[in-house]
Amino acid sequence: MTRTIAVLLTAFIVSIVLLTGCSGGNAAKTGAADSGKELVYATAKDINDMNPHLYPGSLPAQGMVYESLVENTEEGIKPLLAESWDVSEDGKVYTFHLRKDVKFHDGEPFNAEAVKKNIEAVQSNASKHSWIKLSTKIVSANVLDEFAFELVLSEPYYPTLLELSMTRPYVFISPKDFVNGETKDGVSGHHGTGPYKLTEQKTDQYATFEANENYWGGAPKVNKITAKVLPAGETTFLALQKGEVNFIFTDDRGSDSIDVDAMNQLMDSGDFQLVRSKAMNTKMIVANSSKSDSPAHETAVREAIWYSIDRETISKQIFNGTETAANTLFSPNVNYANVELKKRGFDLDTAKQLLEKAGWLLEGGSEIRTKDGKPLAMKLYYDVNSSSQKSEAEFIQSTLKKAGVQLELVGEESSSIANRRATGDYDLLFNQTWGLAYDPQSTISAFTSESAYYHTTSGISKADELYKNIDEVMVTLDEKKRKALYANILTIVHNEAVFIPLTNGSVTIVAPTSLQGISFKQTQFELPFERMYFE
Amino acid sequence: MISYIIKRSLLSIPLLVIITFLTFGLNHLSPLDPAEVILHAQGVPAITDELIAETKAALGMDRPFLLRYMHWLVSCLQLDFGSSYVTGKTVGSLLAPAFLNTLKLTLVSAAAIIVLSIGLGVISARREGKMTDKAIRGVSFFLTSMPPYWLAALMVWYFSVQLDLLPTSGMDSFKSYILPVIVITISFTGIYFRIVRSAMLSNMNEDYVLYGRACGLPEQKITLHILKNSLQVAISVFCMAIPIILGSTVVVENIFAWPGLGTLSVKAIVSRDFPIIQAYVLVLAIAFVLFNTASDIINAAMNPKLRKATK
Repeated sequence: MTRTIAVLLTAFIVSIVLLTGCSGGNAAKTGAADSGKELVYATAKDINDMNPHLYPGSLPAQGMVYESLVENTEEGIKPLLAESWDVSEDGKVYTFHLRKDVKFHDGEPFNAEAVKKNIEAVQSNASKHSWIKLSTKIVSANVLDEFAFELVLSEPYYPTLLELSMTRPYVFISPKDFVNGETKDGVSGHHGTGPYKLTEQKTDQYATFEANENYWGGAPKVNKITAKVLPAGETTFLALQKGEVNFIFTDDRGSDSIDVDAMNQLMDSGDFQLVRSKAMNTKMIVANSSKSDSPAHETAVREAIWYSIDRETISKQIFNGTETAANTLFSPNVNYANVELKKRGFDLDTAKQLLEKAGWLLEGGSEIRTKDGKPLAMKLYYDVNSSSQKSEAEFIQSTLKKAGVQLELVGEESSSIANRRATGDYDLLFNQTWGLAYDPQSTISAFTSESAYYHTTSGISKADELYKNIDEVMVTLDEKKRKALYANILTIVHNEAVFIPLTNGSVTIVAPTSLQGISFKQTQFELPFERMYFE
Repeated sequence: MISYIIKRSLLSIPLLVIITFLTFGLNHLSPLDPAEVILHAQGVPAITDELIAETKAALGMDRPFLLRYMHWLVSCLQLDFGSSYVTGKTVGSLLAPAFLNTLKLTLVSAAAIIVLSIGLGVISARREGKMTDKAIRGVSFFLTSMPPYWLAALMVWYFSVQLDLLPTSGMDSFKSYILPVIVITISFTGIYFRIVRSAMLSNMNEDYVLYGRACGLPEQKITLHILKNSLQVAISVFCMAIPIILGSTVVVENIFAWPGLGTLSVKAIVSRDFPIIQAYVLVLAIAFVLFNTASDIINAAMNPKLRKATK
C-alpha cells in the first residue's frame, strides 16, 4: 500500500510538472516587459462602460480614447481639439476654432457639427451632470462654419474652459456611435479622437488599446496598452514580479494597488522605477458645523481637533512618506490657493487650552471633558475599504484621548458615508478634495451643495458671507477680484476649521526602468500615455 | 421510483419560492436608498434630490414592495434578472459568462476532489492506524488548515514567479486552471477523504465482509464491495460538493483574478449592485436545492428502503 501511495503522489507531481513543463517556455514570452513597446497595467476594476458622457467608465482609459476642446496644464489652459478661442466681452459667448486635421477612430470627420451633437447629447441628460456647473449655464451650441463653433451661456462663468477640459463629460465621440441621436442610453461603439483606440474589451479580464496611427498629434510611441483586471495587493505584486504586468498607478480613489514595502522590493530588483507626482489633492476630516447637538458644531472643538493631529507622524508612519502633511484645505500649488493662513501644527497644549476656554472641562478624575454634563464625544466615519483611513482614525483617536476628547470610530461603505454627508447625519468624516484640475472651483462650489458640504459649512457664523463670495467668484470676470474672493473664502473656512487637513495625496507610478517620458496631467484620474516611450 | 422523483422535485418548489422572497427582501433591508446606490455605483459625482426621484421613477421603485417582488419573480422566471446598477448591462449578460467560468473551474476541481478523496480514503482505510494512514491524515490536516489565500500566494510565488512555469492569474489557457484547481482541491480533499475513510471503516466490520473473506474472495474484490457500499454515504456528500465549491470560489477567484461568479459577486457587493447580488444568491440557492434533490434521488435509486420511508 505504501507503494500505491508513492505511485499516486509521484503521478500527481509528475502530471503537474508535465502539464507546466510542456508549455513552460511560452510563459516568459507572454510577459509584457519583453515586447518593448507594450504596457500592461493592472486595474482593480474593469474599464467598464466607455461611454464618455456617463460616469461608470475608467477615467484613465477614457483619457486615452477621448479628447476635449482644451487642455488644462500647469501653465494654464492650452489648445487641444480647439486651436484657439475667443470670449465675448460680456463673458457669455465662447467661440472655438477647431483643428482641421482631426478624425474620429472610425474615420468620421471631427468638425463643428460633431461638437454640437456631442454637447447637445450631454445637455439632454443634464440632471446627471449637475456637479459640473457649466452644464447648468449652457443655453445653446451653434455651428458657425465647418470648423467654428459657438457656445452660448446664460451668464458669465469663469471656469468654463476648465470644465471643458475635464475627462468627462464634454469630450467627443463619433456621432456614428450615437443611439437614436443620443448617448444617455448607451452608445454603439467607442470611437474618440484620442491617441489610442479601444480594440478589445473582455469584461472583468482585460481591455486593449492600440496606438492611433492617424493621431493628429503624431502616433504615440508605445503602440499597445493593456488594462488587466487584477485584485490589488499580492496578486498584482506577483504579476509584476513575473512580468505579466509592468505598470501600475494610483487608482481614482487615491489608493495604490500595492503597498510601500512591495514597491520598494520592486525598485530593488532594478527593473522598475517609481515616479511620483506633486501633490494632487488633500485628504481631510470634515466637521459638521450645522449639527447643533454635536460638539463639532463649536469652532473651538474643531480647532482643538486640528491641533491634536500629528500629521508628520501620519505621513511618516502610516504613509511611509508617500503622502506629505497638509496644513490647509488646498496645497499652495492649487490655483488661487496660495493664501496666507494661520498655521496650526501639532500642539496638544493649545488644544487643551482652547477646550478649557470654551468650557469643556475635565472634572475630577474623568478622562473625558464635559460641558453642562454633556461629554465631549463624537463619531468619526471612515471608509471601511481604506486601510489607511482606518489606521489614521485609530491614531487620531489615541491623541485626541490625551486632550480629553472621545472619538468613536465607525467604518462604513463609501456610498454610506456620502449619504451621511448629504443628510448631515455625522459629526466628523473622512473626505478628500477633487484634485488639481478641479480645484479650487469644484470643491468650493460643493460647499453650497446639499449633497456635498452644505452641512459642513452652513453652521459657521460667516456662512452667508461665504456663500455670497462663492456665488460671486464663479461669475466675476475680474481676475483681481476673483483672487480676493477666493482668498476670503479660504480664510473663512480655515478660521472656522471645518475642513481639517491631514495629508496631500499624489499619483504614484511604478514603471519599467526603460520607460521614458513619464509625466502627469493636472488630475489624479488620468495619465498622458501618449508621451511615454521605451529607450 | 418515478413517483418518488416527482414528489421530491415538487417538494423543492415551495423552498425555492421562500428563497426568492428572502433574497429580494434582504436587499431591501439595506439602510441605503437604492436610487442613491445606483447613482453612486454609476459614479455620478453629485447626487441631487431631483436625480434620485427621477431614478426611482425610472426603475419603478416607488411601487409597493410586494408588487415589486412579484414583478421581479415573474421576470426571473423568464430569465430576466434586470440590469446592473453599475454598468447598465443586463444581469444575464454578466452572470452567464461568469457562471460558466466558475462552473468550468468547479467541474475540474470536483473531478479532482472526487478521484483523490476516494483514492486516499480507500488507501487510508485499508491501512488504518499504520504509517501510511497517519501520513495521509497528517498531511491533509496540515494542508486543509492552511488558509487558501496563503496557499495560493505561496504556489503562485513558487510555480509562477520562481519557476516561471504557470501564469500568475487570469483565464487565458489550460495552464491557468492548474493553480486554482490545486488550491480548491487541497482545501476540499482533506475533508472529503475522511468521509470516504470512515464509511469504509464502518463497512469493514459488516458481516458481508467477513462472509466474503470466509468464502476466500480476493482482498481487492472485497475492497471494491466495501467501496461500493461506502459510496452511498459519500454520494450525497459529493453531490453537495458541487454547489459548495460553486459558492466558495470567492477567495480563489479573487486571488487568481478568475472572471467568475466569486469575483463578480464581490464586486457587486462592494458597489451594492443589488440586481447582481440577488441573481447570484438565487443561482447559488437553486444550485443547492437542485443538487440536494439530485442526491436524494440518487440515494433513493441506490437504496430502495429510502424510497419506502418517504411514501
